[in-house]
Amino acid sequence: MTLAERTETGRGAAPPAARQRPRRRGAVTRPWLLLAPALLVMGGLLLYPLLRVLVLSLQDFGLRELVSGRTNRVGLDNYVELLTSPELWTTVLPNTVVFAAVAVALTVVFGTLVALLLARLSPVVRGVVTTAIMVAWAMPAVTGTYVWVFAFTPGDGVVVQALDALGLVDAATANPFAGRLSFYGVAALNVVHHGFPFVALTVLAGLLTIPRELTEAAIVDGASAWRRFWSVTFPMLRPVFAVVTVLSTIWDFKVFTQIYLMPGGDGVNRNVLTLGTWSYVESFAQNRFGLGAAIAVLLTALLLVVTVVYLRLLFREDEL
Amino acid sequence: MWWLRGSRTARRSAVALLAAAALALTGCGGDAGSGGGDDRTLTVWIMEGTNPDAEPFFSELSAAFTERTGATLDVQFVQWASAHDRFITAIAGGTTPDVAEVGTTWVAEFADAGALVDLEPRVQEAGLADGLVDGLVEAGTIGDGLYGMPWYAGVRSIVYRTDVFAELGLQPPTTWDELVAVGQRIKQARPDLLPLPIAGDNEFIVYPFLWGAGGEVATRNGDTWVSGVDSPQAREGIQFYADLALVHGFSTPAAATWRETDVRDAFTKGQAAMIFSGSWTPKAILEAAPDLEGKIGAFPIPGRDGGLAPSVLGGSLLSIFETSDDQDLAWQLVEMMSTGEFAAKWAQESSYFPGTTALLAEAAQSSDPLVAPFARQMAESGRSVPVTPAFGQIQGKKTIAAMMRSILTGEATVEEATATAAAEMNQIFASGA
Repeated sequence: MTLAERTETGRGAAPPAARQRPRRRGAVTRPWLLLAPALLVMGGLLLYPLLRVLVLSLQDFGLRELVSGRTNRVGLDNYVELLTSPELWTTVLPNTVVFAAVAVALTVVFGTLVALLLARLSPVVRGVVTTAIMVAWAMPAVTGTYVWVFAFTPGDGVVVQALDALGLVDAATANPFAGRLSFYGVAALNVVHHGFPFVALTVLAGLLTIPRELTEAAIVDGASAWRRFWSVTFPMLRPVFAVVTVLSTIWDFKVFTQIYLMPGGDGVNRNVLTLGTWSYVESFAQNRFGLGAAIAVLLTALLLVVTVVYLRLLFREDEL
Repeated sequence: MWWLRGSRTARRSAVALLAAAALALTGCGGDAGSGGGDDRTLTVWIMEGTNPDAEPFFSELSAAFTERTGATLDVQFVQWASAHDRFITAIAGGTTPDVAEVGTTWVAEFADAGALVDLEPRVQEAGLADGLVDGLVEAGTIGDGLYGMPWYAGVRSIVYRTDVFAELGLQPPTTWDELVAVGQRIKQARPDLLPLPIAGDNEFIVYPFLWGAGGEVATRNGDTWVSGVDSPQAREGIQFYADLALVHGFSTPAAATWRETDVRDAFTKGQAAMIFSGSWTPKAILEAAPDLEGKIGAFPIPGRDGGLAPSVLGGSLLSIFETSDDQDLAWQLVEMMSTGEFAAKWAQESSYFPGTTALLAEAAQSSDPLVAPFARQMAESGRSVPVTPAFGQIQGKKTIAAMMRSILTGEATVEEATATAAAEMNQIFASGA
């Protein structure tokens, strides 16, 4: 509804609410007062840990410091070590970025297709399909990962057996977890499977708000299905796509469980480290919490940049 | 869905569930160690799976402990695979247990960080100092302090299918050449079996071959340590070990990402003829696959030209954490668990060897074909990995496992992989000190 209103009020006139209202005492403080509880919670749960990680990343912080409570400031040493590490540039960063890009694209495209399908179904069937989708969403990442790992287990995994029956691989020698590409193939399936229901349901909610007349008019004008999607549906749902894309990007960039729990994902296979698993391995297996924190800061900065770029692309400046 | 029945999934789901449950438990029970009077509670962390069915043991122990001291025990089980991380997070969050079973290679690390209590005075006072198994004492000693009470020890040897050996007229090998010959015979006569799977993610079988060829994992050089995995001898041993899979084809490419437990799964499913296995596993194997009863035996990992290859003496110590409010009470529990009746009972139930020399001597007399070969390997060639906090870090980084994985998948040659691993180890040795 708000979407429709927004497009109808158009781009010309300024919103009436802001026009004229006498500035009374308290007009400035009241919104802040009302926001205060939320800000306090956000500050405590979000801002403080964020700052703590930032401070940590400037220290050489190991198990000894952890127990004794002493601190050992080293300035930007952790960042220097991180940014000059060949591992970062040849493995970790490409893995993280390419995997996230592919996973987000697949999740959003597949989720949208499912949403378009759902929009066409009768309410009863839609209910059934939605429930089925929700199961994938509700499955904890740990469980889901083990199911996928099990399906791809070398030798007797059901997928490996099926591919063997089709003559595509040799079940006796194939190991999907050994190679970088196949490892991430399995991980992508897992992540997309877990992530598409959110996209599908959010886009579906958006689809249902589009006035029927618009689509009907387009059909009368002889627009093809693709054309209708690209010229009518997509522009109207731009904010929805922005939200699902940004959220999926954030989730897929910092994906951890799905990688860490796969065979070799816990640092044994150095070719498949991502920023998330690398940060964890450095922090908790290596007790180098400072370096781990620096990796986490890098990941956060990267996410911020990506998010800003997305929002710029998806909205014109006056809409923000 | 028939394919969901596999033991691995069942176990993995169980792992996940347990981990979640354990996390929830610590979350709620973090401050259980406080309080006084009659409602004193000791939180105890025990590694899951050492004793296939540990519940009865600990309910008995709890009852006996409550009777003796009036305090109650809160025993929590932790998976080996996630235990190191859990200890670190607990140390970070101040939620460490009062008493915990700590693996031999971690004691140095935690003690160095100041998280563990020095038990030396208490051990002396109790008159226990002379009766403890050397390898475990070595693992628990940092400087002049003893930061863990030896609890139990185990060693890895080879478990094999006696029925297959009998069918093919084979004898347990006593040299590396014989090991290859036996494997080749099995490969040729029983193509349905893996002669000897080589797991990529199991560093503890790399060392017997590395040592067996005359190499060293790392050597002490004054205050620092130097990696030895890239020495010609070490490379020769690692090459032999890798060739069991790469040249002789005794393994499967899938094993490049296996852990020790995956190897055991293959054996219980009847897919392997020999496996490298801990002294504690035969019992678990028979429990998982009762049809193998009477069909399995064990022999020590042979030395290159006879004798025995050194094998890692692993095990656990019982440590008290500095955060414990009542360290005297905690020591009472440690003493109760590591000596006398309960220690013997634990060793017997878990098929490990006890941590006191008196009890170990008793166990070594065993004529059980699934105990005696391990006892021999432990007594004659049990060896400790380098005792330094840095080595715990190297294990955390999975340097040796990563090296083995890259060799087994063909991504790197032994020369390349050992050079990489040695560089990584030396870097950690240099920065850790």
